[in-house]
Amino acid sequence: MSKGSESAGSGARSQVETEIPRNWFIAKLDDLVVNWARRGSLWPMPFGTACCAIEMMAAAASKYDMARYGMERMGYTPRQADVMIVAGRVSYKMAPVMRRIWDQMPQPKWCISMGACASTGGVFDTYTLMQGIDTVVPVDVYVPGCPPRPEGLLYALLMIQEKIKGESVIDPRSREEDPERVGKPHLTPEEIEHIAEPFGNSTFQNRVSGLESSSPIHRPGDRKE
Amino acid sequence: MPPRTVSGKHMKVRADAVSERPDVADVVARFGDAIRSIETDAAGEPVVNVDPERSFEVLEYLRDSQGYDMLKDITGLDLGGGHPLQVVYQLWSTRDSAPLRLKAALPHDNPKLESAFGLWRASDWLEREAYDMYGVIFEGHPDLRRILMPENYEEGYPLRKDFPLRGRFSRAEQTRLALSREMEDLYSLDELAVSGRSGSRRAEPDEGLETQNMILNIGPQHPATHGVLRLVCELDGETIVKCTPHIGYLHTGFEKLSEYRTWNQVIPLTDRMDYLAPMLYNIGYALGVEELLGIEITPRCKVIRVICSELNRVLSHLIWVGTTAIDIGAMTPFLYTFEERERIYNLHEAYAGARMTTSVSRVGGMMADVPPGWLDSVRDFVETFPNTLDETERLLTQNAIWVGRTQGVGAIGAEDALNVGACGPNLRASGVAYDVRKDKPYLDYETYDFDVPIGDHGDVYDRYLVRMEEMRQSLRILEQALDRVPDGPINVDDPRVILPPKSQVMGSIDGMISHFKLVMEGLKVPAGEVWSSIESSKGELGFYLVADGGPKPVRCRFRGPSFMNMSTLPCLVEGELIADLIAVNASIDIVLGEIDR
Repeated sequence: MSKGSESAGSGARSQVETEIPRNWFIAKLDDLVVNWARRGSLWPMPFGTACCAIEMMAAAASKYDMARYGMERMGYTPRQADVMIVAGRVSYKMAPVMRRIWDQMPQPKWCISMGACASTGGVFDTYTLMQGIDTVVPVDVYVPGCPPRPEGLLYALLMIQEKIKGESVIDPRSREEDPERVGKPHLTPEEIEHIAEPFGNSTFQNRVSGLESSSPIHRPGDRKE
Repeated sequence: MPPRTVSGKHMKVRADAVSERPDVADVVARFGDAIRSIETDAAGEPVVNVDPERSFEVLEYLRDSQGYDMLKDITGLDLGGGHPLQVVYQLWSTRDSAPLRLKAALPHDNPKLESAFGLWRASDWLEREAYDMYGVIFEGHPDLRRILMPENYEEGYPLRKDFPLRGRFSRAEQTRLALSREMEDLYSLDELAVSGRSGSRRAEPDEGLETQNMILNIGPQHPATHGVLRLVCELDGETIVKCTPHIGYLHTGFEKLSEYRTWNQVIPLTDRMDYLAPMLYNIGYALGVEELLGIEITPRCKVIRVICSELNRVLSHLIWVGTTAIDIGAMTPFLYTFEERERIYNLHEAYAGARMTTSVSRVGGMMADVPPGWLDSVRDFVETFPNTLDETERLLTQNAIWVGRTQGVGAIGAEDALNVGACGPNLRASGVAYDVRKDKPYLDYETYDFDVPIGDHGDVYDRYLVRMEEMRQSLRILEQALDRVPDGPINVDDPRVILPPKSQVMGSIDGMISHFKLVMEGLKVPAGEVWSSIESSKGELGFYLVADGGPKPVRCRFRGPSFMNMSTLPCLVEGELIADLIAVNASIDIVLGEIDR
């Protein structure tokens, strides 16, 4: 998160903090019901570009069948979707398209970066490929692999479900958005330079996804807030 | 890392090449001083260097009088080190089954050449790509814009040797520039005016009513474009007046990156280009390098490669049937074919360890011999797969909706198909019996008994029938190959090319030296060039490889069949209904990784 978005959100945050104690019970009930519903009917927005898209298709096809976890409806319109699955390499020519699709998705929304190329640029450290989509959109789950197996994608979706469990419906902190950042890169130029250094771009994933801790995340439960 | 350059001449000049080929001798006699020299490449094929001023005349003469009716490739070549820029034409005569390569040398600043668009419409996108990557200006081309890079790309011409691998600007600046491009500008009507070949956007006033054509944008993120393809259609009612494909959204820089990798390191890049049939790309590339090296692979390796090739042809055709059926509205074939694809993926995994990115070949052999029992698993697949094929055909071939949506849609005749550059099953559906496995056999394909299916109408239905029949023919080849797998080593016994076995590395000084040299210096390929091709599932897959004797390629040109097939789309859909665009686009079987590279 950049400094700009934090200062914009701080006003709303103090207001929420005063309201939380009074409605604590209702808020918890809301969390329980709404999060349960959100968790059980995630609508993916498949942003498939390359090899990983074929594995994403395999995850949706007969053998793996991700509809079992509530991802029945592949929403090819960003307006009716809440998980963007970026599967494959994303070039600079494609970057504004991806950012626009992300901006068009309504809150709450999550993003999965599937595969090495989407996460870091992979083996393609070339003039045309973005070195990780997290420079442009915020990413919730990274799936390693080239391409990841369909099980990997399914696990990422389960991790998103775990993440939703811990979210609070009435607390907007986790979902705040700065309208001025629409269509802009997610990171500052210095941060983009830093993570795009050759061979350095695979070691700073926690920091990029906005986490305090720099230790690796092994299971959904290990995620520190 | 400094860019790779070449010093000295990279090919042998042979005087007797002229007398070997009557057509070459004829060209020399006719054009005299316009022919600067004649060389032969590593495969013994003639390479004619022409005066760029008169290259169009020579091309026209070759096409009209010598039967070179197929333009396979136009590409640039920058050897660096003060050598002039070159434009390479790869021609093929369907009459004589003979290849010919033409080269024209141009200066680096302001390279200009007459466009071959008037001779072959296939040259449209090929010339645009050469312009995009090398900055060669083709005079007379109707629509010379960048094709893979964004139209307002400022950094230069990526494949020139003075262009750095990671781009001229910093990553932050590249990201800022990419996101500062106004989306509304990219999608506006004005863009069509500059891209237009078909003139007026406003239709003729009809009985006092003034009508206006509508612009419809499809993609780049759309489920029916099979990847990140963008189609801008101009519609008169529901009829397509003009269709402009925009590609390059998946441009990855494979060709540039290959120049910075050793010969064997390119193999993992190749299966990320065509991820629907990765082993075909692995094997095609390895065959090209082996032709440059002039080595003969072992009989066992040949048969194993045939098995892998045909398995992947089936793999690719299966996803074609599944996704095309989904596009036309049938969900069931997708589920059936993916079931079978999973079985082939299991075979991939048993052999290579990966489901999709197999990287199975090596220069001089394969990554390893097949695991025990693998061939039996393949045989089991070959025996049971026809059931699914029959079931799928039962769902589609006589299906009234399928027939109604595909017959007579997107039809193209044989001569037009050749001229616009269609290849593979699309070309054969139009009635041209061109299959590299028959016309320029590799891997001993001439010893297998199989047929090349040909269509009559060149429409979507014929393309479907051709692919279904090709799968059956692939099974025939697989059966024959499985019966003849010989024993023996899988890799050539050549320490310059293949790592020696571990026992030799540890036990003998020779083994240790050759292991050390291969690992530290890399495989050395003698100076030369070759244009080798195989029949991929989508058409003729060409590799134009140039070596300078070092461990890395100077030029790796991948001529993807999907790129050529995609460029034929406007010819196929103009005049059709908008609903048929989806069927036609699906029917030409594209894979965007290969189009954009």
